[in-house]
Amino acid sequence: MSHEPMHTVIRLKRYEQPPAGYFDDFLREFHHRQRAELLKPSLSTLITERLSYYFSELRVPTMAFAAAAVVALVASVAILRNPVQSEAPRNFAAAYEQVPVTIPKMQPVSLRLDAPANSTPALFSPATMMLRARQANHESPISF
Amino acid sequence: MTSVTESPINNDRELVARTQEGDPSAFDELVVKYNPRLYGLIYHMTSNHEDTNDLLQDVFSKAYRSIRNFRGNSSFYTWMHSIAVNMTINFLKKRNRRQHPSLNDPDSNIENDPDFIAATSNGDPTKQVSIHELQKKLNAAMMKLSHDHRVVVTMFDIQGMPHSEIAKILKVSEGTVRSRLFYAHRQLQNSLHEFKKK
Repeated sequence: MSHEPMHTVIRLKRYEQPPAGYFDDFLREFHHRQRAELLKPSLSTLITERLSYYFSELRVPTMAFAAAAVVALVASVAILRNPVQSEAPRNFAAAYEQVPVTIPKMQPVSLRLDAPANSTPALFSPATMMLRARQANHESPISF
Repeated sequence: MTSVTESPINNDRELVARTQEGDPSAFDELVVKYNPRLYGLIYHMTSNHEDTNDLLQDVFSKAYRSIRNFRGNSSFYTWMHSIAVNMTINFLKKRNRRQHPSLNDPDSNIENDPDFIAATSNGDPTKQVSIHELQKKLNAAMMKLSHDHRVVVTMFDIQGMPHSEIAKILKVSEGTVRSRLFYAHRQLQNSLHEFKKK
């Protein structure tokens, strides 16, 4: 499929040109914008200006700032003059000395399921051992 | 034999080097040289003269700010076009739906162009379409294209750039450029079938 017809039609758009004198004025406008950019304040300058304006608008009396400064000074002097009494250095090694733990000798436990015939069922014997140790009862559990 | 210093690329290198050394007048020469071509690229992408002017100013400002980082791995021409294409596509993505075309009037020479006569009369000289009607339809068809398709149509069909140069600017293969052009032309054919030459 040839796209030559589309190429020739769309090429006609090249005749759309900016107004006369546009390209001559472009460089002048470029210089103007560059100068404007140089004069544009940076973000940090803007923030500083905004903050200073905000504080100037607070309308707090000048004496209040002075009083706050004096209070801060007195408090810091008081803290520096009365340092917190430090305790005598501790012997941490002695304080945390470990007492050896003695474990009594343990008897080995037998887990055999087939207990001897004459032995009585133990309190915590397995269920099978308890059943084996009982006498067999062939009577009906309910009698009338 | 042509002197090496006379070739446009070497001339650009010299102007770039002078700009990098702090000579602003050298950059002015580059602005004057590339302004019309880059204007065309941005204008046919945006279809708006005012947007084009603002974008073009930003493109040259950005190029001026980053010219110290230009190492000459590509030609200045390719570098400038890459900046312009990227900034225009970013702008179009933000603008998205709020499109207000502001078209420039076509040069009166268009009336003498055989392609114009052939396209507008469509074989019947008595039924000639007006220039403005054609312009409106061409613009509408261009705006229907995706940004990727529109940029290749602008550079290849309108500005007459070779595939290899377009591929370098867009950082894609030549095959991709050809493929995008094929699909873009097919879409344009659907929109502009009435102007198809017989």
